[in-house]
Amino acid sequence: MVREYTCIMCPLGCGLRTETRQGERGEEILVTGNTCPKGKEYAVQELTDPQRNIATSVLVSGGELPLASVRLTHAIPKDRIFDVMGEIRKRKLTAPVKAKEIVIENVLGLGSDVIATKDIGKI
Amino acid sequence: MRQTDVVIIGGGPAGLAAAVRLWEKGVRDILILEREHFLGGILRQCIHDGFGLTRFGETLSGPEYAGRFIDQVLEMGIPYLTDITVIDISADRKVTASSRDGILEIQAKAVALTMGCRERTRGAIGIPGQRPAGIYTAGVAQSYINLQNKMVGREAVILGSGDIGMIMARRMTLEGAHVQAVFEVQPYASGLPRNIEQCLNDYGIPLYLSHTVTDIKGAERLEAVVVSQVDECMQPVLGTEREYCCDTLILSVGLIPENELSLAAGVELDSRSKGAVVDENHQTSVSGIFAAGNVLQVHDLVDFVSMEAESLADSVVRYLEEGRLATCMLAVKTDANVTHAIPQKISGGEDFKLSLRVRRPVKNAFIRLSQNGNIILEKKMPKAIPAEMIQIPVKARKLNKESDLEVSVVW
Amino acid sequence: MAGFDVVIIGAGVVGSAVARELSRYQVRVAVLEKELDVACGNSGRNTGMLHAGFTYKPGTLKAECAVEGNQEFDQVAGELQVPFRRTGKVVVGFNDHDRENLLKYKAVGEQNGVRGMRMIDKEELNRLDSSAGGEFAMYVPDSGILDPMQYTIALAENACQNGVEFYFNSRVVAVERLEEGYLVKTEKGEFPARWVINCAGMYAPEISEMLGYPNYPTKGFKGEYFVLDKKAGKHLGIPVYPAPNDKGGFSTHATPTIDGNVLVGPDSYVTEGREDYAATKEHLDGLIADGKKMFKHMKREYFIRNFAGIRWKRYNPQTGEILDFLLEADENRPNTVNLVGIESPGITCALPLARRVVKIVAEREQLEPNPDFNPCRKGIRKYIEMGTEEKKAAIAENPDYGEVVCRCENVSRAEILQAIHNPLGVHTVTGIKNRTRATMGRCQGGYCETRITKMIEEELGIPPEEVRYSKENGYMFTGKVREDV
Repeated sequence: MVREYTCIMCPLGCGLRTETRQGERGEEILVTGNTCPKGKEYAVQELTDPQRNIATSVLVSGGELPLASVRLTHAIPKDRIFDVMGEIRKRKLTAPVKAKEIVIENVLGLGSDVIATKDIGKI
Repeated sequence: MRQTDVVIIGGGPAGLAAAVRLWEKGVRDILILEREHFLGGILRQCIHDGFGLTRFGETLSGPEYAGRFIDQVLEMGIPYLTDITVIDISADRKVTASSRDGILEIQAKAVALTMGCRERTRGAIGIPGQRPAGIYTAGVAQSYINLQNKMVGREAVILGSGDIGMIMARRMTLEGAHVQAVFEVQPYASGLPRNIEQCLNDYGIPLYLSHTVTDIKGAERLEAVVVSQVDECMQPVLGTEREYCCDTLILSVGLIPENELSLAAGVELDSRSKGAVVDENHQTSVSGIFAAGNVLQVHDLVDFVSMEAESLADSVVRYLEEGRLATCMLAVKTDANVTHAIPQKISGGEDFKLSLRVRRPVKNAFIRLSQNGNIILEKKMPKAIPAEMIQIPVKARKLNKESDLEVSVVW
Repeated sequence: MAGFDVVIIGAGVVGSAVARELSRYQVRVAVLEKELDVACGNSGRNTGMLHAGFTYKPGTLKAECAVEGNQEFDQVAGELQVPFRRTGKVVVGFNDHDRENLLKYKAVGEQNGVRGMRMIDKEELNRLDSSAGGEFAMYVPDSGILDPMQYTIALAENACQNGVEFYFNSRVVAVERLEEGYLVKTEKGEFPARWVINCAGMYAPEISEMLGYPNYPTKGFKGEYFVLDKKAGKHLGIPVYPAPNDKGGFSTHATPTIDGNVLVGPDSYVTEGREDYAATKEHLDGLIADGKKMFKHMKREYFIRNFAGIRWKRYNPQTGEILDFLLEADENRPNTVNLVGIESPGITCALPLARRVVKIVAEREQLEPNPDFNPCRKGIRKYIEMGTEEKKAAIAENPDYGEVVCRCENVSRAEILQAIHNPLGVHTVTGIKNRTRATMGRCQGGYCETRITKMIEEELGIPPEEVRYSKENGYMFTGKVREDV
């Protein structure tokens, strides 16, 4: 089976092609079109279990700004994005917030933390 | 009047990187002037990740990327002022700025222009139709959503496939809005392929090339947009109109370097890049005034903005030491396949980095640099697209000091 | 609600002028406006020209009022602090037919009492403005430019300061005749009044009918405009009009605005929609072609905005003939004044028309002068127009002047605050824009709109979803991204 992807690991955006076939040691995935090893890794991941990072915001009370920006420390399965958004939406922080601060640890048991990416000073 | 060695206009990624590099090279009498309450510029609202891979070898969100430089500025104790707007710069480098504390007038030895860029608007592209509420440029929507906690709409259409537009398509989708489609008037996307993939394809948002908004409906709040296909001359094709009911139209139709202050100082602008004409030292047509980052040319990656500003800082250090920099006499000329190239002037005696964009997507092409018919170098490009800035280091030893440099795309 | 002596329907330039002139007397006046601000219709959708009056048929109300309004305007602008400049105007020609028309209208102008018109050759034309197109021209020294929005705001604010009450979001749906006076019904409330004055602009025929006058037929002549960057404005110092056509109408012209931009337009075509202000591709393309003839620096990179306005002209449906402004007061409908078909030059004619309205009222009853009437209104002092030393003094006195909110037009926080707390109580983003020019520059609010909406919320203590762009249902936000739960 042949599939095509656009690599998102860097701005180059290589056009990747995966070919799955039965080899001597079972199923093999052949990747072409990548410029670097990350691209190969991405293509295999994308074929087997696509994962993404997300960035959004958490409500902050008593801060210089109403929101603290957050992201995940690791990518999560693509089909869990909106579940994680739901968890983040429930959370509320109190200023001060420091960048790198863990907002939700191991969100939904997916092995990824939600961390703040911005300092929010107290008013 | 206050005297300062280097005044940096703008505390965004370019200004911060320039300040840090200047400090590292021993320049202490620096002043960054930032009009916002915080340092960091536009990166503060770019909360998505993907920044820093080139500069730091890891992928960061916008605030984190800016934070790296802000932390250094604070650690080093580099002087800066926020909540202050520069309202004038003169050709003899007198900077006038306005704040709640009054009017600050500074005589600078060198001025770094690092003001960034602004978004092209509905008026500039002349979209017909009514003028309801609900039409936002992508950056304005981003500011409302990411900084001010205000949702701009629920049912959106996006015009223009610039990176910020695609990023806002994903951002609004994550926040529960429905983004119907992205329309691009050109036959190719203007943003990066990875954003088409992770911002549009991931969320099932279609991208229609060679389409544009030809009518806007709604007397009070936006009610619908009419979209038409366009022909090779970008003219709408009659009979292809389709109406999309929506309450929000996001425009991502281009960025323009913000050079109002540069013009006040008498800096010559390039009608192609819309930024200053600079030489290999990033010096503009006015001695002692330098430009880098999006105010010079719109970049697609902030990493290159920082690196351009660091290179500017290196030149400013030499300028301060030597009192002036020699005028560069050779022009950098481009052919019709190149949108613009920076720098526009070189000496032929120094290494420099050439930045350029191709006018349309090309495959298996060469970027050819030549002087007086002699090829200096050729860079092979398996694919080149307008969305991606191409940077080519050029060595002085390959250049002569007599002939203009010609840049062409051949295939 | 206690009764009003006078209810004025419509807060365009004419309604506001009538309100201001009535506020010289001891009368209780209400102005009812369907929109959220003054000048939302065609009062704000025009070239901003103080017309001299050389194209109007001698003896008409139009001609009379235009000349009167033109010649008194220096005083009016001074009293009301309206940005105004008597630039003069060149009406340019290319051929013999144009010359004939120009001479014809020069004679008309002279008959109307327009001062100082003269024909000039190409050399003098180029001396006056090197960017003007044309082979020769008629020079009209009395023409001027003003900001029509600011003028209407100034009239209304002055009226308001002198006691007139303004009711916005109050569309008149019926006028009932009472035993004594009238009951003016709006969507929001009822206003008993002894006098009713119809200043409803494009809706004047409908109001006319409600008052018991005929529903006069009017025809809408729509015109579109481009607004050009101040960078283009540097090239143009004087309005450049093409020679009028045989009917005295002008096609696309180039006019510097009082703020330093350039307007290119309007073209002219008939529309059916009362508020059909949508721009069309066909006409915008046409403006580009025609604009170049008048203004050599017409370039796409200068475009910052476009808009449209409609001149609703009264006409004779049998002959098609365009009719004069109508100002009438019928004995059978006592204590009403009906103004219909007031279009261009309505800005120039507003105060002369208003005085004629007051005269009608004064003929019926004794008007006692308002001892507190003050003809002067203070405008918002602009930071951009101050010199460095003035800026320093202004900031020392009020630090809000030092905080630049709109970077293109250098509008300070002090000005935005004054605009938010304007005497008329207007709170829309567009209202702030029209009072300060914030968001009107080349970035069109890219930088300052987020700041202005935040200031509106903070100053008025309202949630984001209550901020309005310009109309009642023109909400800016659907709510918060993150609600506090």
